[in-house]
Amino acid sequence: MTVSFKTIENQVLQETLYHYRVDPGMDLYVLPRPGYEKKYAIFSTRFGSIDNSFRVEPEEEVTVLPDGVAHFLEHKLFEDDRGNVFDRFATLGASANAFTSFTQTTYLFSCTANFDKNLQVLLDFVQEPYFTEQTVQKEQGIIGQEIKMYEDHPQWRVFFNLLEGLYQKHPVRKDIAGTIESIAQITPELLYRCYRTFYHPANMAVFVVGDLEPDSVGELVENNLAPRNYEPLGTIVRLFPEEPEEINRRRTVQELVVSDPLFFVGFKDTVVGKLRGRELMRREILMELLLDIIFGTSEKLYNELYRENLIDEDFGAEYTAEYNYGFTMIGGETRDSDLLYEKIMVALEKSKIDGITAEQFERHRRKILGSYIRRFNSLEFIANNFLTYRFRGTDLLDLPALLQEVNRGEALSLLEENLSSDRHTVSLITGGDPR
Amino acid sequence: MSVDFFNHQLSNGIKLYFMPSGKFKTINIALFLHQDLHRDLAALGALVPSVLEKGCRLYPDYLTLQRRLENLFGAELSTDILKSGERQILSFMLETAHGRYLDDNGTIFRDAMFVLGSVVGDPLVDGNAFRKDYVEQEKNQLVKDIRGLLNEKAAYALERCLSLMCADERFGVYKLGRVEDYRDIETVELYRFYQKIITENPLDLYVIGDLDEKLVVETAETIFSGERSQKTIELTPTQVDQPVDEVKFIREELAVNQAKLIIGFRTYTGFQDPLQCALLVYSGILGGFPHSKLFMKVREEAGLAYYVHTRLERYKGLMVISAGINAKDYTQAREIIEKQLADTAAGEISDVELNNTKQGLINQLLSRLDSPQHLISNHLEGLVGGRQWPVEELIAGIKKVDREDIMAVAKRVKQDTVYLLQSREGGDGKNDR
Repeated sequence: MTVSFKTIENQVLQETLYHYRVDPGMDLYVLPRPGYEKKYAIFSTRFGSIDNSFRVEPEEEVTVLPDGVAHFLEHKLFEDDRGNVFDRFATLGASANAFTSFTQTTYLFSCTANFDKNLQVLLDFVQEPYFTEQTVQKEQGIIGQEIKMYEDHPQWRVFFNLLEGLYQKHPVRKDIAGTIESIAQITPELLYRCYRTFYHPANMAVFVVGDLEPDSVGELVENNLAPRNYEPLGTIVRLFPEEPEEINRRRTVQELVVSDPLFFVGFKDTVVGKLRGRELMRREILMELLLDIIFGTSEKLYNELYRENLIDEDFGAEYTAEYNYGFTMIGGETRDSDLLYEKIMVALEKSKIDGITAEQFERHRRKILGSYIRRFNSLEFIANNFLTYRFRGTDLLDLPALLQEVNRGEALSLLEENLSSDRHTVSLITGGDPR
Repeated sequence: MSVDFFNHQLSNGIKLYFMPSGKFKTINIALFLHQDLHRDLAALGALVPSVLEKGCRLYPDYLTLQRRLENLFGAELSTDILKSGERQILSFMLETAHGRYLDDNGTIFRDAMFVLGSVVGDPLVDGNAFRKDYVEQEKNQLVKDIRGLLNEKAAYALERCLSLMCADERFGVYKLGRVEDYRDIETVELYRFYQKIITENPLDLYVIGDLDEKLVVETAETIFSGERSQKTIELTPTQVDQPVDEVKFIREELAVNQAKLIIGFRTYTGFQDPLQCALLVYSGILGGFPHSKLFMKVREEAGLAYYVHTRLERYKGLMVISAGINAKDYTQAREIIEKQLADTAAGEISDVELNNTKQGLINQLLSRLDSPQHLISNHLEGLVGGRQWPVEELIAGIKKVDREDIMAVAKRVKQDTVYLLQSREGGDGKNDR
């Protein structure tokens, strides 16, 4: 059997990526990395915590999910009528795991032996669901502990409080794992319904990286999928509530046991949902440059704040762009959140006046390029990020080219458009009584 | 698979370890300065990298230094303090993209080495002291870091347990020292301390990348040419034989949603011990993997925890079990854990458990060869532990481990401290053993 593929060359990274289209409509990517001991594979579906209301064409019926189903399903796929899937990987010397984000669920293994067999196990267990009343009930206890662990996690709490402040309706404001109450509503039937929709190969992709021969991987995947006789999948229509441009609330404060207050300012991006493909990625790169130019360690503001003991080395600014939501967050631990807030807002206004110098822009561009190249040491980074970018219609390998295309003027215009003070919120964790 | 560092000694006695490797996109340079972990020295040691990193003679402030690194295509300089057994290591690492992916005139390696050499060896000095404002600022930051341990509850509980367990040993010292240790440190004293350790203490320099050996040695020789004393000081070996009289039970209160259970053990098996491989397998069978006894019984069967695992401190020969549980489940969780310890000690280990654990360990060891940082830390571990364990030898050793070896290790293992961190209303965790 031969499978058709095309290759994607990247001159900067000096890498060749092999792309296969496997029946019934699944993308498979293989990146050979000679000399690596480890081989890493991920099998990922476009099903995340925000996909909580959907229908499949031509059906009219809409399914509305309690919060936390995608993550719950991820846990439950690791168990089937033959027992625990971790054991199967362990017998083959592999290390397996999975994670759920806002937009996708990813199953993975890494191994240094028995790659073909491990890949079979990955493909098999993800394609063979097994949910019963009893196993669902037990998982409610385990995930309950996971939720409780995150309740004590200041970074996690400050992040979700910020999203809650920014969004009035969009499900990105909800914790990925849901709540103890919402996961109590999950049943085997509900899991099967989600499974049949989102775990169809046409909604999934595989990325494999390591010292591998691409064609043999292509054949293995094709041979695994072919006998399963998938029916074609109708278009999945994901339903999202209309999100107003306005934020939800100005300020969210929570008490937790922390040594210093943890503080972030968040800005809601109201344009991002209209952008696709390269335009979306262009915005992401411009925002990364812009934020680094204003808040980065090589600039005056960071060094002033550090000298005034207002921030520590973890202070930073970050932008996230998905296909239908986007936000910026700026902050970190601080002794005085009011003062830090004021300094951040003043800095943004000042940047509009000061502008960006050519030297600054070029220096930060070099930094982003070098950091990008360095991260390609990590097989996990490559695979995980490639599919995340792919699922939002962008291409991780496009970054060096886009980085050359963007200019200072574009970055400056985003300062006005995307960091507008009438769409910001703050999130603060204060240290309560430690006992 | 075989990977080796070429060893060189620079003319001033600094050890240089170089691994030519074309497999990575980067050039990695690391420098480690070792000293004994000691209550009176920990804060001084922790301050040195922080202060040095804030500016040196040629790049006199953080902004200037960061701009220099950005122009080297975002080369990343990171400093850290490591605690390896009863040794404190001052770590300086620099990673750059390799010149083959950049338009860099072929000088990025030398330029990066030069920056690192400046930061470590050519500090910004005011008379015979570091600059007072830098020192005060970094004292503040380190005190903040120590207090910040509280923010990560699992790490906090682990650190509390180990410090209580080893309260009378050097190992009980936190790697950054105590808050009160910083109060009286003077800039003159800190500079004198720096001058002493930089000239007398063991100093190891690592380079990994697709580079010419001659170039690496010559560059290192030129840049790290500072004068050193004739004889490098000998550090004190880590003590692994502290006896346990009785199991300590400690319960502390903190407003947490999830209780943290930490159990500390002494294995009396140090880094050079012939049973080292058996210890790795023993700990792995108990709690190193998702197939391990603790994960299967505490999480998968009883549904009491999201995480439960073992970890080893191989220099000091300690093993720690950690779990996040509901405080009310403490007694049940503890019973299940004790049962797994007893079963393992009695050799009740299936062939599948033994085989899966060995394969899992081998997979981890081989995977580490794909990261320059791990290649460096593997070799550094050998320097600290007084014995290199080449990957091939470790793997062969692990393959040979049988039930008798594991039972022999288990026989040595003594429970020392049970630590439970829970909220006041958390209920029934109190002194029931």
